[in-house]
Amino acid sequence: MEKVNYDVVVVGAGLAGLMASHEIASAGYSVAVISKVFPTRSHSSSAEGGIAAYIEGNSDPNDNPDYMAYDTIKGGDYLVDQDAAELLSYKSGEIVRTLESWGTLFNRQPDGRVAVRYFGGQTYPRTRFVGDKTGMALLHTVYERTSGLGKVDFYFEWFAWELIRDDSRVRGVVAFDMRNMVPVFFKAKAVVMASGGMGMLYKHSTNSYINTGDGYAMALRARVALKDPEFVQFHPTALYPSDILISEAARGEGGILRNNKGERFMARYAPKKLDLAPRDIASRAILTEVKEGRGFPGGYVGLDLTHLGEEYIKERLALAYEAAKSFAGIDATKEMIPVRPAQHYYMGGIDVDITGRNPDLIGLFAAGEAACVSVHGANRLGSNSLLETLVFGRETGRAVVEFLRSYSEPSSDIDKEAEKAEQTAYDVVKRESGVHFGEVVNKLREVMWEDVGVFRTEDGMKNAVSEIMKLRDMAKDTYVLDKSKVYNTEFYNALEMKNMLDLALVIAVTALNRKESRGAHYRLDYPKRDDENWLKHTIAYLRGNTVEITYKPVKMTKWKPEERVY
Amino acid sequence: MSLQNEEMEVIIKVKRFSQDKGSWWQEYKLKVDRFTQFTEALRRIKTEQDPTLAYRAACHMAVCGSCGMKINGEPRLACKTLVIDTVKKYGSNVITLEPMDYFTPVKDLVVNLDDFYERMYKVKPRLYPSEEVLKGEAEHRLKPEDQRMLWKFAQCIWCGLCVSSCPSVRNDPEFLGPAAHAKGFRFLADPRDTITEEREKILLDSAWRCTYCYMCYNVCPRDVEPVTAIKKTRAYTKLAKVKSPVIETGEKHTQAVFESIFESGKLEEAKVYLSTYGVIGSLRDMIYLLQSGKLKYALVKEKPVENISEVRKILRGE
Ligand SMILES: Cc1cc2nc3c(=O)[nH]c(=O)nc-3n(C[C@H](O)[C@H](O)[C@H](O)COP(=O)(O)OP(=O)(O)OC[C@H]3O[C@@H](n4cnc5c(N)ncnc54)[C@H](O)[C@@H]3O)c2cc1C
Ligand code: SF4
Ligand code: SF4
Ligand code: FES
Repeated sequence: MEKVNYDVVVVGAGLAGLMASHEIASAGYSVAVISKVFPTRSHSSSAEGGIAAYIEGNSDPNDNPDYMAYDTIKGGDYLVDQDAAELLSYKSGEIVRTLESWGTLFNRQPDGRVAVRYFGGQTYPRTRFVGDKTGMALLHTVYERTSGLGKVDFYFEWFAWELIRDDSRVRGVVAFDMRNMVPVFFKAKAVVMASGGMGMLYKHSTNSYINTGDGYAMALRARVALKDPEFVQFHPTALYPSDILISEAARGEGGILRNNKGERFMARYAPKKLDLAPRDIASRAILTEVKEGRGFPGGYVGLDLTHLGEEYIKERLALAYEAAKSFAGIDATKEMIPVRPAQHYYMGGIDVDITGRNPDLIGLFAAGEAACVSVHGANRLGSNSLLETLVFGRETGRAVVEFLRSYSEPSSDIDKEAEKAEQTAYDVVKRESGVHFGEVVNKLREVMWEDVGVFRTEDGMKNAVSEIMKLRDMAKDTYVLDKSKVYNTEFYNALEMKNMLDLALVIAVTALNRKESRGAHYRLDYPKRDDENWLKHTIAYLRGNTVEITYKPVKMTKWKPEERVY
Repeated sequence: MSLQNEEMEVIIKVKRFSQDKGSWWQEYKLKVDRFTQFTEALRRIKTEQDPTLAYRAACHMAVCGSCGMKINGEPRLACKTLVIDTVKKYGSNVITLEPMDYFTPVKDLVVNLDDFYERMYKVKPRLYPSEEVLKGEAEHRLKPEDQRMLWKFAQCIWCGLCVSSCPSVRNDPEFLGPAAHAKGFRFLADPRDTITEEREKILLDSAWRCTYCYMCYNVCPRDVEPVTAIKKTRAYTKLAKVKSPVIETGEKHTQAVFESIFESGKLEEAKVYLSTYGVIGSLRDMIYLLQSGKLKYALVKEKPVENISEVRKILRGE
């Protein structure tokens, strides 16, 4: 197998991966960035509503970074590591200023300062935005800047398949060039996983088609733990029926959720915050309305923007307006937008500390949605994720640089391991008959949505675990019909399917294990939060077909758990 | 507000391509509803009928720029196009999907975009702010109206549709193409940028190579209007110190158009040609016009319009 050598391999060219690369390359180290898609096609481009930031001299005079940390911790139902939330808040202003200076065209106040809007769960408005295409604006800026360094090698339309490790440390990544299926062993001293989320595990998701959880599965197969894998976020306002996100900005700018009687039903579920309640609460409220017969036929409710006026809607909520128009034939200036919850974000991820370092495997780092730092705990607040990708992308980059400064060369040879990884991938191509990846994936998405979704029960999750086991068996017989080597997307879809199954098993088993309701993990059979037994992080390893679970304490600094009411 | 749905069976004919087999058409039958996007139709074909079909798609919400292709011959984003809308627009439930024009096909609907990216990189697509701003020692505040104007041209998602349909890109290797011009102008016009002169060098000559055919304007799924960016870039010519032959010709052409309208109130193609290209250049083009049968239009003699004095007033900016 062909080999290349780098100081660092970064898997993923979304905001987190690019930010880490920028930091590492600026310090003079060689970096390869591997991405399934051209960098600006990464999922970060879809982020709409904004990025949270407390900016000195440009925030509400009563606000301060401690309030921001507090909102994040409370929003995450106290499963947030408080040192991480503080770091996120205290660095937020600076990172937005950096991006601003790199050219991001943030919306402005009349005096030229960066403008601000409200997002769910915020005591004071803190969300900075570029219309409702904030993610795209940020991603293009960071890509343009990082590629301008001339020091980072981009391998786009390359598929990372396996992490290569020895007894204690990471040694690189095996990846395929998607144009010709040629495998290459990227040898590296450190690897940063910035491979994003996993929305395709669910039948209804706002995520991009490429979010198949590859990084989580690569970590699991390399005997690395995921932290809090049971926490999956559902966004309350996905457009019916295409599941395109209608940004939380719509509610932040004054949009109102209404049932089929025209009632502002959030008054019943979050009397103080109303429509600006966090996502888990609003999602459950919508599904409860639907279940109790107050939704519209097909299972959705209305998001009413009509009172905001045409001009305001078209400037500040352009994408929401456009999406409703193009994909549901609705004119949001005149009618309500049909919405329902859909999978949106993954709070769980590769276990790392606040420097992005993984404790299981020396030299492995993770950042962005692929990682669990944990700043989002049991439920992420809107506009905190873009912030996380940049702040922790940069922190991780810095930690990698520090790691490289004291690095010593290992003596063992691991080329055999890389060849094994190539074989496991090719196995699916060599088989002559069996099932297609599509069959398995479609079933998996259905099961996850039904049984490991917004509302969870013991029976449902047990069923999910056994179904996933069956699908994993079925997957042993999958084969690839396309025998060509040129841009064989079927081959990569089959590998993605394997990744999705590994991750799904871990999610279902850990969800079944957590016998309480906290944030986005809501169990009808245990509807209360239970701090006595469950105020702890789940740490899960995958060994063959078994999921091994241990726990880690939540880091507390200033804030004691209190009841979460809005 | 319950939504009326419809269901319909459609036949999607995909122009497939492989390096060993060349190209062929393949048909897929599919039930779709009123909300089915072409990316979803393709995903369903791939997972339910034919896993070998290759195409690009990611965001399914028209922001990542992956899914450019031709739908019934029209350059479009597959995710931003609904199947049933297309059936209605063309009055047929048989729809064709083909890869974008101009770029080299790789497989089925996937084309090689290296040429597109190279064009984008040529314009130095990034802000070069002052050192003080970079170090955080100074802040350069952007006026809301500047932000709005720049954002229009910054919204390019690198989908390549405009380049695939631009005639000048095909004919003129020196032309940077519509998307690169939109990107280039977005930074040229940014008051925070410090390499304006260098950008003028990169952009000006190329800006005069566009034919103003407006294809890029018509196909762009993000309303970036590359041709508007090109027009605005041309306006920088007045400031340029060194002018290439193309720029000079271009400026002469603009001047000639002005004079023609000033004199007769009409665009006298022949006169404009003569003033722009001189006698030799015009002769060469006349031969082309003769061959294509268009010469008769060029030789029509125009009489001034009746209210020419009004036209002149407008042109003088009165
Ligand atoms: C519709 C939508 C709207 C959102 N809006 C907001 C918002 O307004 N504010 C906010 O804060 N957050 C928002 N989010 C969340 C936020 O966008 C994401 O969490 C964030 O962008 C993730 O960035 P990332 O860098 O971690 O990963 P991504 O941007 O997802 O990048 C992942 C990268 O990994 C690569 N990759 C993955 N697997 C492989 C593999 N096997 N081989 C090679 N490469 C691979 C991909 O190609 C890609 O480059 C939104 C999310 C969605 C779905
Ligand atoms: S207007 Fe100019 S840039 Fe646009 S398509 Fe026509 S020739 Fe190309
Ligand atoms: S200008 Fe428009 S059509 Fe051209 S690449 Fe950009 S988004 Fe696509
Ligand atoms: S899939 Fe992203 S633009 Fe169509």
